[in-house]
Amino acid sequence: MSVPVSQMWTVATYVLKQRLRGRRRYPLVLMLEPLFRCNLACAGCGKIQYPAHILKRHLTVEQCLAAVEECGAPMVSIPGGEPLMYPDIGRLVKELVARRKYVYLCTNALLLKEKLAEGLFQPSKYLSFSVHMDGLRQEHDEAVCREGVYDEAVEAIREAVRRGFRVTTNSTLFEGVDPGRMREFFDTMMALGVEGMMVSPGYSYSKAPDQEHFLRRQRAHELFRAMLARPKRAWRFNQSPLFLQFLMGKQDFECTPWGNPTYNLFGWQRPCYLLQEGYAATFEELMARTRWEAYGRKSGNPKCRDCMVHCGYEPTAVDHTFGSWRGFRDAVVATVTGRL
Amino acid sequence: MTAERSLEGWAPVIGEGVTLEEVVDHAFDYRGDVTVVTADGREIVGYVYTRDPDAAEPFLKLFEPAGASLTLRYAEVRAIRFTGKDAAAGKSYEAWLRRKHEGAAPAAS
Repeated sequence: MSVPVSQMWTVATYVLKQRLRGRRRYPLVLMLEPLFRCNLACAGCGKIQYPAHILKRHLTVEQCLAAVEECGAPMVSIPGGEPLMYPDIGRLVKELVARRKYVYLCTNALLLKEKLAEGLFQPSKYLSFSVHMDGLRQEHDEAVCREGVYDEAVEAIREAVRRGFRVTTNSTLFEGVDPGRMREFFDTMMALGVEGMMVSPGYSYSKAPDQEHFLRRQRAHELFRAMLARPKRAWRFNQSPLFLQFLMGKQDFECTPWGNPTYNLFGWQRPCYLLQEGYAATFEELMARTRWEAYGRKSGNPKCRDCMVHCGYEPTAVDHTFGSWRGFRDAVVATVTGRL
Repeated sequence: MTAERSLEGWAPVIGEGVTLEEVVDHAFDYRGDVTVVTADGREIVGYVYTRDPDAAEPFLKLFEPAGASLTLRYAEVRAIRFTGKDAAAGKSYEAWLRRKHEGAAPAAS
């Protein structure tokens, strides 16, 4: 696994503190969406289908920082939209790093080389570019509905690595993925020098154009077992080994929808990053007034039935790691042996 | 490809087979602007970005294209028409594949 020790320590102490305080529900990663605008229109994405006047809006840096403060999570993920299109992205990242938040800037990397050349960012252990890569050239370009994106992203990754930045990749997988090609993809990303990879099955957003290629649970288990069986020592994943085991069907977790709360132009999204069933004006209201029991697999909510996405299950895996001896042991064994 | 039918152009009459709460829910789910007709006869165009039917006084919030956010109580709403373009409609994966195979440049947002 490739999460740096300092980050692991920060997360571990944060989780233990929450548990010692008896806090049953706590956030782990704030999903901060400063804008919905994007320079791609990917088939599996349900985040950008809005009228033009909504796409033109964005949060102010002050609104973003207030949300970070209010939430208190140790990690901040900045998806969108494409965050490099956010006019104040340099200042926002600088402010978050100054607050010692671990920042994952999720980008398709089309603008990354340009922004790096402008000197907008400084390398830091707190900042990681999380580059969207859904596979090798053919698969990625098909997923993002534009040819040439893979090559541009690879070039940007090389440049960011060369400049000393932390770079990770995030891959959303859909039905039809070839496990052999994904293994080849893992080799390729490692050879590029990325710090670690993140993988997750896609979620069938009701607003996403492509509804037929989302993975159902059993099929997802089969795919991840085939893909991650006998993982190569060189592969590094920037996520909990228990979450990967969950994807393979080796762990049985329930969703933690409050683990990755989402803040955007509309407020605090209820109940999670994927479902959009309303907005709360404050983080406190989100936590107190959301009917959490109506979500997750056990609830029987059909929208949650096949969901295995990291924003709901990675927090469960992390809580399990630091909240039980068995979880801790499983995570240590997987980390030390490299076996999943 | 989404099987959902777009509500673009829908002008429901509240009380005739559909309640105000249901229409507001549809408006919240709709990825386009709507026109809200208020009890005092105003017509407000905007994007409904949230609503709270469980509040003491149920309300919806919308962004007007010009920039302002407005809060309207359900009690103030007489009708909602789905007048804006549905941004989620007509952008199917199949359409992209078709364009790709025809050699046309795939569109970005």
